[in-house]
Amino acid sequence: MNALDIFAFSAGLLAVLTASLVAFHPNILYAAISLTFSLLSVAGLYAVLGADFIAAVQLIIYVGGIIIVILFAIMMSENIYRVRFLDGARKYMAPLVFCAALFLLLLKMIVAYVVPLVPNPQRIPLSEPIGVALSTIYALPFEYVAVLLLFGLVGAVIVARPNYKEHKQGGKK
Amino acid sequence: MTIADLLSSGFSIASNTLGNITGYLLIPPPFFVFSFLSPVVVILLFAMPFGGICTYLERKISADFQERVGPNRVGPIGLLQFFADGIKMFLKEDLANKNADLLVYNIAPALVTAGSMGAFAAVPFAKHVMGANLDIGVFFVMAIGSLVSLGILLGAWSSENKWSLLGGVRAAAQIVSYEIPLGIAVLTVVMVAGTMNIGDIVQMQLWPTGEGGHFWFIFHNPFVFINFFVFFIAALAECNRTPFDLAEAESELVSGFNTEFSGMRFGLYALAEFIDVIMFCCVAVAIFLGGWNLPFVDISDIQTGWKILGGNADILIQALFMIIVFMAKVCALIFVVMWIRWTLPRLRVDQLMSLCWKYLIPIGLFNLLGAAIWMMAFHGRGLIEVIGLAGGHH
Repeated sequence: MNALDIFAFSAGLLAVLTASLVAFHPNILYAAISLTFSLLSVAGLYAVLGADFIAAVQLIIYVGGIIIVILFAIMMSENIYRVRFLDGARKYMAPLVFCAALFLLLLKMIVAYVVPLVPNPQRIPLSEPIGVALSTIYALPFEYVAVLLLFGLVGAVIVARPNYKEHKQGGKK
Repeated sequence: MTIADLLSSGFSIASNTLGNITGYLLIPPPFFVFSFLSPVVVILLFAMPFGGICTYLERKISADFQERVGPNRVGPIGLLQFFADGIKMFLKEDLANKNADLLVYNIAPALVTAGSMGAFAAVPFAKHVMGANLDIGVFFVMAIGSLVSLGILLGAWSSENKWSLLGGVRAAAQIVSYEIPLGIAVLTVVMVAGTMNIGDIVQMQLWPTGEGGHFWFIFHNPFVFINFFVFFIAALAECNRTPFDLAEAESELVSGFNTEFSGMRFGLYALAEFIDVIMFCCVAVAIFLGGWNLPFVDISDIQTGWKILGGNADILIQALFMIIVFMAKVCALIFVVMWIRWTLPRLRVDQLMSLCWKYLIPIGLFNLLGAAIWMMAFHGRGLIEVIGLAGGHH
């Protein structure tokens, strides 16, 4: 067991611990904060495995973007952080069955596609192969995702702005 | 080099390269743990006092602009003022609002400081003098900075104060928006250089005399030149500096997101702002203004043949010169930042957003495209090579 293994296991442990805090903490703001740390430890896991680029992407998209938006939503909603979100009702059966099935599926996949977990043996910069792949064989999916994002942006603007026609007529008066 | 390499080898301030070249063993094996911590300590020892001196400079420069004297009591011409400020901050009572969320309130300043100081790990001060020679250097600097907005938002919310919350929301919205033009401007340089490794980017900005240099990237082509200003404006907004300091607009919001903080927690926020400024100036110098490179000369040509303790002294002398050149450029840029602060008035929120979305982003994208076309048209040669200022070099 070398230093890398220790880092990898502690990052994984931290990710699992904080993720379970997300699931079980009654205060939604604390859940969001521990989600941040869970995502950070996953970024650390990527970094330990030699995928620096993915780790930085994880940091910039999740911590710099999505978590900020989640926090915005929580902080702008009045008293949302004082509401207890876990209800006491015993609804265990259906989630338990679903989760067990999902776990078995994942286990089967992990066993079927087992790859030795060596941390990126050549340690070449991963950003170049990723860039080449995105602009050659994965060009179409990449562009498709870009168009989807554009739809999302335009849709968000349409939803957020006041009714354009009324606004325009109001301006003419 | 990846982060995993650093973790498995134990990194020194020079990733041991300096030691290998000069013949010194910088980190002997028993001090493995120290070798993890030494870059952290060096960065703290560099960033904290430099941030402190910047607070002194800010006060002196603002005094100059307003024809006042400024701090002049503590030490000669007030030089030790920042020291006195620091002691005052340490000794002040650490207060929190009655309804404040203490856990979040306490970790928020640490997050901000971590975000602004972590970026120094990838800043190249000289050829082999950098905390971590990462392959994703520029991207790492951009990514680690996202902790700053998180810390500001959490600190603002947890202090249970409407001014704080308003300031925090403004700051976070501003930082998230201005990351886009900043990223586009950085992307232009990454495209021109063909790498994200900051050390390599600086190395490519040598004066073109046959070693594959392109001179400073700001002069590589007109598009990068314009995008430098896009970068600079966006960086000003990222640091919440005037004219973009709406987040702590003292005429509207008392002091914005740090209103409720006192003592060293406030000190960390104030210091983090200056360290952010230093960090962005360092990045601007490294990727646009040539880092440690000077026009017409190559500092690594300095050969004295001197020996220190049996090792080759040249590398150390070159490193010293490079650090001096680099820091001189950084200080000049910091002066410009302060100059802007004491010259321009503050923008309105709508002006801030329209500047970002309607001007900086389209201009940045246009120049990104223009730089791509330039790279195609002139086979990656810079303006200086194209007009033949530096002789027939490919």
